[in-house]
Amino acid sequence: MENIKNKYAIVGVGESERSKKSGTTPLHLALDAARAAIADAGLETKEIDGFMSYSENDSCPAHQLSTYLGVRPKYVKDIMGGGSSTEMLIADAIGLIETGQVNTVLIYRSMNGRSGVRMGGGGWDVNMLQNAMDGGSFLIPYGAGSPGQWFGLFATRHMHETGLTKEHLGHVCVSFYEHAQRNPKAFFYGKPLTMEAYHDTPDLSFPFNKHDFCLESDEANAIIVTSAKRAEQLPNQPAYIMGIAARQCVSHAHYWTNVDEVASDYVAKDVYKKAGVTAKDLDVASIYDCYSWVVLRQLEAYEIAKRGEVGDFVADGHLKMGGKLPSNTAGGMLSEGYTHGMNNVIEIVRQIRHDYEGSDRQVKDCEVGLCTGWAGPDIAGAMILRN
Amino acid sequence: MSYEKPIPLKNEDNAPFWDAADRHELFLQKCHTCQQFAHPPGPACAKCGSSDLTWENLGTDIKGRVYSYVISHRPFLPGFQNDTPLVIAVIELATYPEVKMIGNILNHAIEDIHIGMEVEMTWQKINDGRSLPQWE
Repeated sequence: MENIKNKYAIVGVGESERSKKSGTTPLHLALDAARAAIADAGLETKEIDGFMSYSENDSCPAHQLSTYLGVRPKYVKDIMGGGSSTEMLIADAIGLIETGQVNTVLIYRSMNGRSGVRMGGGGWDVNMLQNAMDGGSFLIPYGAGSPGQWFGLFATRHMHETGLTKEHLGHVCVSFYEHAQRNPKAFFYGKPLTMEAYHDTPDLSFPFNKHDFCLESDEANAIIVTSAKRAEQLPNQPAYIMGIAARQCVSHAHYWTNVDEVASDYVAKDVYKKAGVTAKDLDVASIYDCYSWVVLRQLEAYEIAKRGEVGDFVADGHLKMGGKLPSNTAGGMLSEGYTHGMNNVIEIVRQIRHDYEGSDRQVKDCEVGLCTGWAGPDIAGAMILRN
Repeated sequence: MSYEKPIPLKNEDNAPFWDAADRHELFLQKCHTCQQFAHPPGPACAKCGSSDLTWENLGTDIKGRVYSYVISHRPFLPGFQNDTPLVIAVIELATYPEVKMIGNILNHAIEDIHIGMEVEMTWQKINDGRSLPQWE
């Protein structure tokens, strides 16, 4: 296989307005995000010849978006998927560019995640769920219908084995909420969280309270991927892709039968090898944060802190500005907004490009960043970007 | 009062498990090729891919230990509104700890639930024909 290190780049990022009730369609949101990303890249719209989207049947098709951007694409693709889909589609885009199918690809996630189809559930037919999920009849009759419960089974065991406590979950939340105070577009801007308030919040599903759960939002995000060669002709600084691990899996759909292993454990080794760096080289990170514990488990998987020392790492403030690895610096999905990970990708691109230079939001001298995706304990991907 | 919670749906892969549950017995799918249990049951062994599968009757006296758990204070599915707080646990079987099963832990105070806790399988009657394996 060709080594693609530094041969591809993210050249544009953009988002629609973020709200709890957009009052419009996913297509309108996607158009707003796409136009913003295209303007950010300094590209002509007609230069985008590939369009890709991931959704849970709650978005607009890539062909429709390209049509209303006035483009005749050479490639469109819509996949079913949530977390870790951004990284996978970036890898797919690189493969298509590498083989000459397209030159420049726009990837988007558009959703009315609060006012439309909610990931947190509600209103679903229970028999549909039993049939739709592999092994659903072994979960749904027991009231286990939410990822917060499924991932919680991993969390309780992991916390038991490694000495992590609710306090450590709280440090993830408090750190990310602190980042959101520098981001006027974050939902929890102006709403910082103290550890005391965290502890005073009743559990929704032990070990998680509402702060440990990600948000729900109506918004669209878009990013543009092209070759480094093309990127160098564009007016703005690109974020170069040093390495990408598209997607790895463990176990099978009944992943709760093995709560000791997660796909990120395998992704980590792969992405570091491809990028030629180690955890010590990272300056900034976007760590998939559908739940606070998922961040702690990935800190271990990506060898950012050793198993058993992850709690101290977050308690010492290393996810905050000035820490060893400032992470989810726009607030993450716990406190900024939620697009199945793409908002975290946008933020790390902006950090790596030094977009916030001169403000307290910029991670100083950040050159190398890790961005992780988590579809669940069983499916994950990641990429490493550089300035 | 009628049973409002979801009732396990039987299909061609899992029917022997649920049929046994209705008789208050535990049947587990087992792979002839690699000799490992395949739970939850499926169309082939998820450990080795073999479709040479059989069913083993583990009987009615089933002991296990809590491997992990969550405690839900909100009903995430319809029918559970009167069941909070609800303990959802991963139980490892005492005789075959490699087999993990999901169930609710019934009739214990929430404060007593802990990893390593010893539990026994019980069958919760759903209606005249159906029963759900549970733990207490």
